[in-house]
Amino acid sequence: MANSTLQLLAHLMRRAGFGATREELETYARDGYEATVARLLDTSNPISMPEYLIRRFHPDESSMLLGGSGKDAWLYRMTTTSAPLLEKMTLFWHGIFATGYPKVINAKPLSDQIRMFRRYAMGSLSTLLLELSKDPAMIIWLDNQQNHKEAINENFGRELLELFSMGVGNYTEDDVKECARAFTGWTIGNREYMELRSNRDSDWPYGRISWHFEFRPEDHDDGEKVFLGQTGKFNGDDVIDIICQQEATARFISRHMYHFFVADEPPVPQWPYQPPRDPEAINVLSQAYFDNDYDIRSMLRVLFNSDFFKSESCWYQKVKSPSELVTGVLRLTETMDRPRYDTIEKRMRMEFMGQTLSNPPSVEGWDGGLAWIDTGALVERMNFATEELGDTGTPGSQALMRLLTADNGAVLAPDRLVDLCLDHLGAISVHEDTRSRLVEYAAEEGDIHFEGHDVSEDVKRRIAGVVQLIAASPEFQRA
Amino acid sequence: MTTAKLEQTQFLKYSGTVGMTTMRGRGFYYPMDAAMSRDGRIYVVSRSSERAPADTLRVTVLNAEGEYFGVFGAKGDGDGEFLWPCGVATDAEDRVYVSDEQLHRIMIFTASGEFVSKWGIRGGGEGELNGPSGIVFDSDNNILVSDTWNHRIQRFTKDGTFLSAFGTSGDGKGEFDLPWGLATNADGEIFVADWGNDRVQRFSPDGQFVAQYGGTGRENGQFVRPAGVAVDADGYIYVADWGNERVQIFNSEGLFVQKLRGEATNSTWAEDFLRVNVEEAEARMRANLEPEIEFFNDDPHEESSHIEKLFWGPISVFLDDAGRLYVTEENRHRIQVFERAS
Repeated sequence: MANSTLQLLAHLMRRAGFGATREELETYARDGYEATVARLLDTSNPISMPEYLIRRFHPDESSMLLGGSGKDAWLYRMTTTSAPLLEKMTLFWHGIFATGYPKVINAKPLSDQIRMFRRYAMGSLSTLLLELSKDPAMIIWLDNQQNHKEAINENFGRELLELFSMGVGNYTEDDVKECARAFTGWTIGNREYMELRSNRDSDWPYGRISWHFEFRPEDHDDGEKVFLGQTGKFNGDDVIDIICQQEATARFISRHMYHFFVADEPPVPQWPYQPPRDPEAINVLSQAYFDNDYDIRSMLRVLFNSDFFKSESCWYQKVKSPSELVTGVLRLTETMDRPRYDTIEKRMRMEFMGQTLSNPPSVEGWDGGLAWIDTGALVERMNFATEELGDTGTPGSQALMRLLTADNGAVLAPDRLVDLCLDHLGAISVHEDTRSRLVEYAAEEGDIHFEGHDVSEDVKRRIAGVVQLIAASPEFQRA
Repeated sequence: MTTAKLEQTQFLKYSGTVGMTTMRGRGFYYPMDAAMSRDGRIYVVSRSSERAPADTLRVTVLNAEGEYFGVFGAKGDGDGEFLWPCGVATDAEDRVYVSDEQLHRIMIFTASGEFVSKWGIRGGGEGELNGPSGIVFDSDNNILVSDTWNHRIQRFTKDGTFLSAFGTSGDGKGEFDLPWGLATNADGEIFVADWGNDRVQRFSPDGQFVAQYGGTGRENGQFVRPAGVAVDADGYIYVADWGNERVQIFNSEGLFVQKLRGEATNSTWAEDFLRVNVEEAEARMRANLEPEIEFFNDDPHEESSHIEKLFWGPISVFLDDAGRLYVTEENRHRIQVFERAS
């Protein structure tokens, strides 16, 4: 069965991607672990289902009249991309810079924000924060259009420090005010008309109009400011430069990265009071941040090649988020080979599990970890995974049947069947108790007998049963 | 490719706009195609969204002056219902035909929207359909269908009896990649918007390859995913250059004549809306609807999403007897009309 190299690669792909099949893992194994990390980090030419093709069949993914618009296109991209880490990082930033539909009420700027995350997700933090500060959806989300020279609104300035870069306890209330002053005049074009349309959820007369950033110099406070101990006539760009120089910023982003890719940290509000789970890991990542001019890709390279990431003690410890679970399952079934009418139904399952993209529960995003699991969500997660993976008509299922018939001639023993299925679904290593129960189930009707390469409906049913049980197992539901 | 790059001439000029966005009733919601019957009625098929209520999928009936005659159809797989409606055409008896890419069938309605019949079976065999999209009638009152996922064009009698087919998957002459819009000229030649191959192909009435126009790009005479095509009585060819957010016009030899980027104004329906929504109308008056914006890429999709008057998703083109061009925009939910400049 899967050797330790393959299992380590499987761990990498679960965390840095959405999982991988045994066949994919064997390809990566030929290149080696570090080369696979390098491949994941190379996002220069991602290939996924073309946007034109998605828009061709789903026009609402183009101009986005509805609240859920844009999310099916993201699911297509996550499911079909050759650069899964880029999508994971897009999810990562979406979770931190959480912006939601109920206040923005225009799906196009929200979708534009996600595309912005994708463009800058793995570059310099300073560039990303600057683009975030100019992002129209963020401006409306945190009221920066109401941040005026003569009357500041602190909302964006405060969250930039508290939730987006440094964390509570590393700045003063005066810093918040000075930060807000630096971003006065940073607004959206046609603010009055766009806000009114948003407030009325108006798509009349001719559909949504995209929003654009506008700097209004007459509304910008260009006076001297004292911010984090530095003095000058700072604007937003300068403030972001200063923020990025801070040790607290390096540690804050490092801790988020550790939480997302390695092991669960407590919710952000508890960070000032609880030390990191692995302080040395945070030190290593922070050092990578400063050594590489705040470059996120360099931090990720250090993280994925580190012992604290590779350690078996953290395998299968993170509960997959709904977006990770749904995407991972759909990548295994290989059913998103072209735009499909029922894509929305699959995406909605993610929402039934508790994650509505572009509609986080608060400005703090999703807690993640065990918070993904409650009784209803767990049933939904198991139902989705078992329904999709138990469908013997999918290309992914047919690939498994071919693997099984090619493996062992005419007879397949229950334990071998279980091991091959675990392998096919991503070199999954399960607890001995889990494996015993799977084998026990598979053995209920004895060995499987093949007749050549044909698989009878009855055998398909039995194989699907094993796959469904694996899909419902704790190991499959975790990454 | 035979397309030459010529100076743009002023061949058509903007005339006006009809329609507006509405989820239901008088208006359009992601219009995919439009056709005009002999009496001047325009039938606009709204695809809506998979997540929208049933009555948002519909055919809206109006005329060029914005007179509204009602809607018919709804979401569903029953008689008179759609899931992914795509193309619309009218026959010599003014019956209305609607293709459905998800249900793999053609549905027939009377001019007033009563369901008449349906035909079409999913498959790849002769006479079977896999995602029918563009439809048009030939001079014999037979219907040509873009059989999109089978990458071919099929001809049927109007009641669905298979007559002939041509084309296969590929990018060679006479081959297709997800063909979409269709048109015929006075000689019975067939024009196909070969969507995935960024070209328009021209065929003899019996399906023999004649010529191809286009090629991938944003220059004059090039296309990005052309969706619709029309040909007028003089042989001019009009192409909904969907991915370039423009319409291009060629002469009968395929030489570039003009490109249109769109210049919509308020339709009568839009004016009606703004008249009763004064606050929105006043804010709109004060807004700069043509802002200068620096975009992160050269895809005109971005520009069109910001500048309302420009085409956004020009998906279908048709002509009336006076030679006026009607451009249906899926993302702006309206039809821009152009007429001869002289």
